[in-house]
Amino acid sequence: MSEIGLMLLRMAVWLGLAPLLPGLINKVKAAVAGRRGPPVLQLYYDLARLWRKGVVLSTLASPGFVFGPAVAWLAVVAAAALLPLGPLGAVAGFRGDVVLMIYLLALARFATAWSAMETGSAFEGMGAAREVSFAVLAEAAVIAGVLALCVQSGRLTLADMLGESAGPGAALLGAGLFVVLLAENCRVPFDDPNTHLELTMVHEVMVLDHSGPLLAAVLHGAAVKLLFFAVLLVQAVLPMGHWPAGTALAALAGGVLLVTVGVGLVEALLARVAFRRVPLLLTSAWVLCVFALLVAWKGGGR
Amino acid sequence: MVAGLALGGLGLLGGALAARHPRGWLAATLTGQGALGLTALAVLGGGGSWADPGAGAWSSPCGHLRLDVLSAFFLLLVAGVGGAATVYAREYWSEREHPVSAVAGRVWWNLFLAAMGLVLLAAHGIVLLVGWELFALSGYFLITLNRTPRAVRSAGWLYLAASHAGTLCLFGFFAALAARTGSWALGPLHDRPELAPLFWLALLGFGLKAGLFPLHVWLPSAHANAPSHVSAMLSGVALKMGIYGLVRFSGWLPTPPAAGWVVAGLGGVSAVLGVAFALGQHDLKRLLAYHSVENIGIILMGLGFGLLAAAHGPAGWGPLALAGGLLHVWNHGLFKALLFLGAGSVLHATGTREMSRLGGLWTRMPWTTALFALGAAAISGLPPLNGFVSEWLVYLGLFDAAAARGPAAALAIPTAILLAITGALALACFVKVCGVVFLGAARTPAAERAHECGPAMRGAMLALAAACVAIGLGAAGLWPVLARVVAAWNPAWPPGETPASLKALTAAHVVVALAAVAAAAGLARKLRRAGVRRAVTWDCGYAAPSPRMQYTAASFAGILTEWFAWILHPHRHEEKPEGVLPRRARWSVHTPETVLEEVIEPVGRGFLWAAAQVRKLQHGRVQAYVLYLLLGVAALAVLALWSWTG
Repeated sequence: MSEIGLMLLRMAVWLGLAPLLPGLINKVKAAVAGRRGPPVLQLYYDLARLWRKGVVLSTLASPGFVFGPAVAWLAVVAAAALLPLGPLGAVAGFRGDVVLMIYLLALARFATAWSAMETGSAFEGMGAAREVSFAVLAEAAVIAGVLALCVQSGRLTLADMLGESAGPGAALLGAGLFVVLLAENCRVPFDDPNTHLELTMVHEVMVLDHSGPLLAAVLHGAAVKLLFFAVLLVQAVLPMGHWPAGTALAALAGGVLLVTVGVGLVEALLARVAFRRVPLLLTSAWVLCVFALLVAWKGGGR
Repeated sequence: MVAGLALGGLGLLGGALAARHPRGWLAATLTGQGALGLTALAVLGGGGSWADPGAGAWSSPCGHLRLDVLSAFFLLLVAGVGGAATVYAREYWSEREHPVSAVAGRVWWNLFLAAMGLVLLAAHGIVLLVGWELFALSGYFLITLNRTPRAVRSAGWLYLAASHAGTLCLFGFFAALAARTGSWALGPLHDRPELAPLFWLALLGFGLKAGLFPLHVWLPSAHANAPSHVSAMLSGVALKMGIYGLVRFSGWLPTPPAAGWVVAGLGGVSAVLGVAFALGQHDLKRLLAYHSVENIGIILMGLGFGLLAAAHGPAGWGPLALAGGLLHVWNHGLFKALLFLGAGSVLHATGTREMSRLGGLWTRMPWTTALFALGAAAISGLPPLNGFVSEWLVYLGLFDAAAARGPAAALAIPTAILLAITGALALACFVKVCGVVFLGAARTPAAERAHECGPAMRGAMLALAAACVAIGLGAAGLWPVLARVVAAWNPAWPPGETPASLKALTAAHVVVALAAVAAAAGLARKLRRAGVRRAVTWDCGYAAPSPRMQYTAASFAGILTEWFAWILHPHRHEEKPEGVLPRRARWSVHTPETVLEEVIEPVGRGFLWAAAQVRKLQHGRVQAYVLYLLLGVAALAVLALWSWTG
C-alpha cells in the first residue's frame, strides 16, 4: 500500500474507530446490569448532533476558551499519530518520540485545564486541580512503564520498544498501565462518567461550560485518548514485533476489545473510590510499573 | 573581537555615565549589549576562541581575559536577556514613578551587566573574584533600589549574606588553586588529579549563587522583593553565573569520581522540591522564584550526567544530557525573564503580587496574558516550545543511560522519573497561576482597574516570547552551537552531525504548531457560523455568585501541597464557625521558607547565643583581666612542667 494510503488508513482508524469504545463500554455495563443500554454508535450520533448545534459561552470566557479544546484535541491526535498501530506503523518514528508523545498528552492537559479555569467557576477549578494533581502520579507511572520497555529492548523508538514488549514483566506493566488508563480517561474507580454531581467529578466537571462543537471536540478527543491508552497497553504487553502482520493486527484488535470490555466490567462491578484514596491507587500503579522496570533491568532481556 | 568587547564595555560604561538622560542611557547600554551579543555570536558561529594578547603568557600580573565558546554561550544570554530587560526597565523604573532611585538604578544596572561580562571573560583568579564581587554588590543595590519596605531590606541583607558566604568559598577555591599551581591563571589542568577535591568548594560557592536546593535560601525573598526587571535578570541570567562557574571548572579541572552522582542527585532534589515549594506560594513573584530552583535542578541533571559519562568512559548519552542542560540555561533565561517581566506588568497595573487578589486580568491586559501564557507553557516543558526541547535532550540522555545498563543506569532511572514528576508538577503550578491571575473574574477592585503595560515593556516581552518560539521551532539549527560548547567542555566529545532524531523532533514541532493554529482557527470559524450566545458560568443554580467564590490559588494547589506537607510544613490558621449563629470563620494557609526558618535561622541563633556567652568574658573589669593573665600563665607553667616531666 502506498505511504499516503497507509497514512489515511491510520488516521481513519484513530479518528473513526475511537468513538466506538465508549459505546462498547456502555454496552458491557448495560449487559451486566441486565439492561439493553444505548446503541454502540451512540457517541457518533452525539458528536454529529453537537457539531450542528450553536454555542453558549460563559460571559467570562476569553478567546483562549476556544483554543483550549482545539489544542487539546490536536495534541491527543498528534500523540496517537506517534503511537504505532501494530504492523500499520506510526506517522513518524524517531529516537525519543516516546517522550514527545507523553508531553503531547501533557499539552492536552494544559489546554483543557486552561479552558476550565477560563470560566471562573469553583467547580471547574476543582476539576482542573484534581486533573493536574492526579496526572503527576499517572505521568510518573507512564514514564516508569516506558523506561521498562526501553530497558528491556535497549531502544528509544516507540515502534522498536513496543515490538519487543515488556518481556517477563509484561503482566506487571499491563496491570500498571490499565490503572493509568482508568485514571487518565476518568473512568471508575477514579471518576464516574455517569455522575452529574459537580462536586465529585474530575474530567466531566472541567467541561461543564463547553457546549456545541466545543463539547464535540472534547468528547472526540476523550475517545481518541481512550483508544490511545488501550493500544499502548496491548502493545506493551504483547511482543507483536515478532509476529506476522495479520496475526499482529488481529491480536491488536482483539486486545483493544478485551481492554474495553475490561473497563466496562470494572465500571459495572466497582464503585468509585473516595478522592483521598485516589493517590494510593495511582501510587500502586506506579509501583507496578516500577516492578516491571526492575524485572526488565535485572531480568537481562534483549 | 577585541573591538566588539571594547565597544561593549564602553557602551555599558557610557550608559552608566549618561544615567541621568534616559534616552542616552538606553542607546549606549543597548549598543554595548548589542556589541557583546554580536561578539559572542561570532565566537559561537565560528567556533574559534579569542584570548587577549597578554594571555599567551599566563604569568602576567593582571588583565587576563579570554573568550571561548563556553563563555560566549553565556555572554549571549547576558546580552540578549539583558537587552530586553534594559528596554523594559526604561519604562518600568522611570523617573516619574521612582524619582529617588531611577538614576541610581541605571548606574547599578550597567555595573551589574558589566560585572557579569567580566566574570565570563576572566581567565585569572583575581580578575574573576573582582568581577564576582562587583556582580554580587551591584546585585544587592539593585534588589534594594526601593528600600522603604522592611521586606526589601531584609531580603537584600539575606542576599548579601548568602552571596558572601559563596564568595568566601570561592576565595578558598581560587586561593587553593593558586597555591597548588603556583599561578592565578585559569585554564585546562587535566593532568593534576590532586586538584579534584577542590570541586566541592566550587560546588558550594557557585551552588549558592545558582540556588540549588538546600542553598537556595536567599533566592525566593530576593527575587520576590527586587524590582521586576531586576528579578528577571537575577533569575534568568545571574543564577546562570553559578552554573557557568560549575560548568567551567568541572571542564577545566579534574573532578572527583563522586561529582557526577552528587550533581545529578542535587539536580533531582532541586527540581522536585523547587516546584513543590512553588506550588505552596501565593505571592506571584515568590512562586516564580521557586521555579528557578526547579529549573536549575533540570540544568544540574544534564551537567551531572555529563560528568558521569565523562567519568565512566565513552558514552553517547553524556553529550546529549549535557547539551540538554546547556540549552536549558538559555531556555530558562528566556522564559523565566519573560514570566518575571509579565509579573512586573501585573504588579505595575494592580499594585499587588498576591495572586488571590487578582483574577480576570485578560480583559484589561490581553498582551500580558497571552505572553505570560506562552511563557507558562514553555516553562512547563510543553511541545512545541523551547522548554520541551531541552528537557527532551536531557530525557534522551537519561533513557540512553538507562538502556545502556551501566553503573549510571541506577541513577538515570530515578532521575528520569523525577524529571517526569517535575514536569507534571510545573504544569499544575502554571495552570494555577494563569487561571487564578489572568482568567475568570476580578477578585478585587484593584484587579478590575488594571491597565495594559506600555509599548516598551510589551516589546521586551514580545522579543523574549519570540525567542522561546524560535528555539522551539528551530531546535535542530542550534545543535552545532551546543555540540561546540560540549566539545569545549570535554574535548573527548568532538562535535558531530546534528542527530536525525533532533531534526525529526523539530519537524514534528513545526507540524504540531501549524496544526494547532489551524485547528483553533477552524474551531473558531465553526463557532462564528454556529452562532454564539453568552450566559453566566454554570453556578449549580446558586442565586448570588460572586468573584470571591472562584477557586483560589491555595485551594487549587491543595491536593499537591498536602502530598508535600512533610517538607513544606504549611502553617494553617483556622477559626471554625461556632455556635448556633456563627458570626465569622476564617481559614488560611501559608507555606514558610522551611529551610531558612527551620535550619539556617536556628543555627544562626545558636551561633549568636554562643557568641554572647563568649562575650561575657569581656566586661572591662581590670581585676578579672589580671586573673585571666595569671590563669593563663599558670596553665602554661603546668603545660611546660608536664612536657618536661613527661
